[in-house]
Amino acid sequence: MVTQEEIERVSKLMKIDVDDHKEYVDKVKRMIGYFDVLDSAGVESEEISMLEIQISSLREDEYIPFSDKLIEKLNHYKGTYVRAPKMSS
Amino acid sequence: MNLKISVLEYVQEIKNGNLSAEDFMSKTLERISDVDDKLHAFLNINKDAIDQAREIDKKIKSGAKIGSCLGMPISIKDNICIKDSKTTCASKMLENFVAPYDATVITKLKEQDAVFVGKVNLDEFAMGLSTEFSAFGPSKNPWNVECVPGGSSGGSAVSVSAFECIASLGSDTGGSVRNPASFCSIVGYKPTYGLISRYGLISYANSIEQIGPLTRTVKDTAFMLNIISGLDENDNTTVDNNNADYLSGIDSGIEGKKIGVIKEMIGEGIDPRVLSATNDAISKLESLGAICEEVSLDMVKYSVAAYYTITATEAGSNLARYDNLRYGYDFPVEGYEFNSYISKARRNFGPEVTRRMIIGGFVPSAGHAGKYFLKAIKVKSKLTKEINEAFKRFDLLISPTVPILPFKIGEKIDDPISLFLVDINTVTANLTGKPAISIPYAIVNGLPIGIQLMADSMNDKLLLQAGHALENTVTLPEVPI
Repeated sequence: MVTQEEIERVSKLMKIDVDDHKEYVDKVKRMIGYFDVLDSAGVESEEISMLEIQISSLREDEYIPFSDKLIEKLNHYKGTYVRAPKMSS
Repeated sequence: MNLKISVLEYVQEIKNGNLSAEDFMSKTLERISDVDDKLHAFLNINKDAIDQAREIDKKIKSGAKIGSCLGMPISIKDNICIKDSKTTCASKMLENFVAPYDATVITKLKEQDAVFVGKVNLDEFAMGLSTEFSAFGPSKNPWNVECVPGGSSGGSAVSVSAFECIASLGSDTGGSVRNPASFCSIVGYKPTYGLISRYGLISYANSIEQIGPLTRTVKDTAFMLNIISGLDENDNTTVDNNNADYLSGIDSGIEGKKIGVIKEMIGEGIDPRVLSATNDAISKLESLGAICEEVSLDMVKYSVAAYYTITATEAGSNLARYDNLRYGYDFPVEGYEFNSYISKARRNFGPEVTRRMIIGGFVPSAGHAGKYFLKAIKVKSKLTKEINEAFKRFDLLISPTVPILPFKIGEKIDDPISLFLVDINTVTANLTGKPAISIPYAIVNGLPIGIQLMADSMNDKLLLQAGHALENTVTLPEVPI
């Protein structure tokens, strides 16, 4: 069974902040608990199928000009830079 | 003016000069104004729609080259980008996001002179099957406004069913086109994986999701597929369909076709009224010359758990971009440390998205991946093998689209497991990449039941032929709104 501590640790790693912790933890525990049914599937020896695509089949990795100045649409664009939160407290 | 016509009838009426695109658009907008307060299909309306339709009328009158859509009003799920138009994903996180480019499907429809009447509602980031998880409020089922319309493409299904547009595009990750199509008594199509470009579809679970049309008839779906399918250099998962014409030969019928009845999709948990309608559909197909036999796909029992594990994992990765710096809403950065700023900003995700992101971090993480994610991927592989074996014996597979009738708004919202199980019949097509269609088949106690047909990969043409044959076996009442 998944523990509350495990879910809280993952939430922090995923940068998820919630108000009603218990409500989220309970539902997430029930959802993950349902996934335990996978233990009965008997697929341990199953090979994972892969689709291989040759690099030559992909489009060229080249710069394509874009007419809109998207950076200017950012919320925190300040003319010559984008304001971001400080990196340490 | 009759708004209840099909796409093909619209095309014919315009070509015959009996109808103008402007008049039809004008009446469509009136209809939206009359009914959408009750239904809440639309998140926003294209204010230029009438002008755009008028321009198309001018092109027609002048004899200029005109696209095959002839100005028909189409609604678009609000997770598909239309340049210079809001694309919210029904999320507060993207409430003011204006798409800087067109999705490939939009480019193709524009080239054929379609007019986008508006963007329609969905579960936030397409995570849900009832449209109750939209940050802007649920859509209502036009057959009974106390019931959900299905989802996540609920707004698309409602808009087509209630004659607020003539066709719609949705996206289908685990049944999100077919489920609402079934609940609203219209046709919903999930193509072979790769048949339609996902470029410009805001990603939820890339490895299994597809854009698909929702229409009033199977022929209309074929018409739409002719326009939007095919290779796209911007989506390297697209497959070459050699410009297949899905309309030609659609009347071929299904005589002699072998149809497998999926045992695991008509068993435990199915509403007896849905089972009865399914058995009736099987009898009708047999009367048309099809040979129906039971088939077992053992992995279906594990498909929902595998589906939610895989989609949450992909969602956890895809939604990591919403840090409120590159995309997001107006929330000042001053006073916050970097990580705590992102965490706080993400409070604008709704509860279901938040839950799935947490799960998406958990199930593939070190120490848990072997128990969850790897097993889910293995179930996907084994299910694909099983269905490929089934398609050696059968041309098509059949099941109800959804095992239950449309349920009341709020009835299941606090019970995630009962919501999971609503997906049991639809996720197989996504996990295996197979094409699937939902055909409106019955109305019981005033609520619709849809029948799902599946075909092998790239057999979309056969699937549409079978769907057309099945839809011709029933005449359904008109939506009561």
